[in-house]
Amino acid sequence: MIETGITKLDEYLQGIPEGKSVLFQIEPGVEESDIAIHVLHHNLERGLHGIYVISESSPKNVEKKFREFNWEIKKYDKLIIVDGYSSLIGAPSEEKYVVEEPHDIRSYEDILIEIMESIDGRGVLVFDSLSNVMDMCGEREALEGIERINNNASQSGFTSIYNFISWPYKEAILYRIRRLFNAIIEISIVGDVVTRQKLEIKKADWNNVEGKKFEFKIFKPEGIRIYIPKISVIGPFQAGKTTFIKAISKNFTPVERLGATVGVEHGTVDYKEYRAEIFGIPGQERFLPLLDKLGSSSKGVFLVIDATKPQEFHLAKKMLERFSNVPYVVVANKQDLPGALKKEEIKTRLNLDNIVETIAIHGKGVYEAFELLMEKILECLNVS
Amino acid sequence: MLAKTGIDRLDELLKGGIPLKSNVLVYAPPFIGKEIILKRFALSGLQEGDSIIFVLTDKSFFDMREEMKNLDNDFEKYEKEGKIRYIDVYSAGVELEEKSKWAIFIDSPINRERIASSIIQILKEKQSKYRVIFDSISTLIVYSDAKAVFRFLQVLSGICKRMNATSMFTMTRGMHEEIEVQTIKHLMDGVIELREEGARFQIRVQGCGEVISRHWIDYILEGEELRLTGAFRMGRVA
Repeated sequence: MIETGITKLDEYLQGIPEGKSVLFQIEPGVEESDIAIHVLHHNLERGLHGIYVISESSPKNVEKKFREFNWEIKKYDKLIIVDGYSSLIGAPSEEKYVVEEPHDIRSYEDILIEIMESIDGRGVLVFDSLSNVMDMCGEREALEGIERINNNASQSGFTSIYNFISWPYKEAILYRIRRLFNAIIEISIVGDVVTRQKLEIKKADWNNVEGKKFEFKIFKPEGIRIYIPKISVIGPFQAGKTTFIKAISKNFTPVERLGATVGVEHGTVDYKEYRAEIFGIPGQERFLPLLDKLGSSSKGVFLVIDATKPQEFHLAKKMLERFSNVPYVVVANKQDLPGALKKEEIKTRLNLDNIVETIAIHGKGVYEAFELLMEKILECLNVS
Repeated sequence: MLAKTGIDRLDELLKGGIPLKSNVLVYAPPFIGKEIILKRFALSGLQEGDSIIFVLTDKSFFDMREEMKNLDNDFEKYEKEGKIRYIDVYSAGVELEEKSKWAIFIDSPINRERIASSIIQILKEKQSKYRVIFDSISTLIVYSDAKAVFRFLQVLSGICKRMNATSMFTMTRGMHEEIEVQTIKHLMDGVIELREEGARFQIRVQGCGEVISRHWIDYILEGEELRLTGAFRMGRVA
């Protein structure tokens, strides 16, 4: 199996079987759309072979792209770059493999077949980009050539990955593309709160995961993260919201006066494959109107409650009701104090699910709560 | 609502300027004033408080900046205010080293994807009226082909309109097949054409909303000025 290195995508796809072809269909204008290079890097790291065909920018630029993620290109002796760019602009190339006739798809085929036959072992062939090669070689000719390349790759144990910018091509061509690849993964722009990208599996002929999706952003140098631009942390006064945010965030902007929060706090959570921006809304009654404002654009909400104060549960639930249809997790905090109610008890009293027991001050249970909310947010995105 | 071109009599001809959010092609042979139209359009935008994005395929952002500074003393001030951004598709390719926080560098005119996404990125950064100055489409076509550039422009012009930008694109007369020119013109809301007729320079406007005359009109070049000298009132042509 080939992995993409994007945890959630691998989980959905259950890996890519050898010999399959995968197309990343990217909406024009997506900034830093280059997932293919991550797939390439991930498999090089796993010790597999990698062939990287470039047609839009120079080999030098590839090195630069690698460096942006703190990867050292020279480290990978199993990486072969096929330079389809230099002859296009009439520049000399230092690469061993140069496409001499970049306007002829056969020129690509010849080189790729030669390389794949000479390599003993499995690997990925990353083609950047299909759209450009179609523009250069003619759409139909290019697709016919790609079909031959895919067949060859398949026989040689290579999985092929294509970057394709979906410029407004004719429907007949798009139809052909949809049939040509074993899997199609669409990347598009989402821009409601903060610009990010949406990945959706449109096709994968080895299992049944069409329609699975998540939102992500590419960070430098960290790489691809499932990205949640806004999560609200709400709950009654002194329930421990600030402590909770502090416990899970790597950077945190406090807005405190005499131990009480007097404004909206912000923290960024980086955990496993996730990154989320979380906003704490103070619990005093005078801040209630803020909840409505934030409610509509929040992708998820943590309701932090003091498990020793059941008398406040009613208020807590009222707060949560302002976030209709937003995935939530109840953080039952202060479990270290005497008299703290347990999960089951709280569940009955609040009539709410998704309860996680925490001791935020010691960081206990907070990531469990975070992961649960991430799951709920993804579930919500995948049913809509 | 109109965007002034910054050339008085051209604005008069255009009944005030080119319509906001439209895209206009400046189609002209080399060295007869195409660049003046672009620069005046940029300056007039800055004077009206608009922000400018230069997309440059044939010169570095540094050269463009120098030339603009010579035209207007306030140019540096506008740049400091963050009103001028460059997408430099030239410098990286020829290994120029000048850097600026206002410039995004793209190593190749073939990388249309990056050009489009960089423009979007800048347009999204702040709320402002933008003028996009794209010089030139010809270079893009030379490096790939007209159909591919057509698709690129189709996407780009849609985005510019959606994000309230008025844009000016250039194409060099004499570099392309007629069919290529027609293909690109098809995507534009208007064309400002320049030509050399014997010893005379002439300008003509197609599209661009309402205009006073659609005939060829004489102009002269004086330093960094382009002056329309031909008459165009009441349909008369000089």
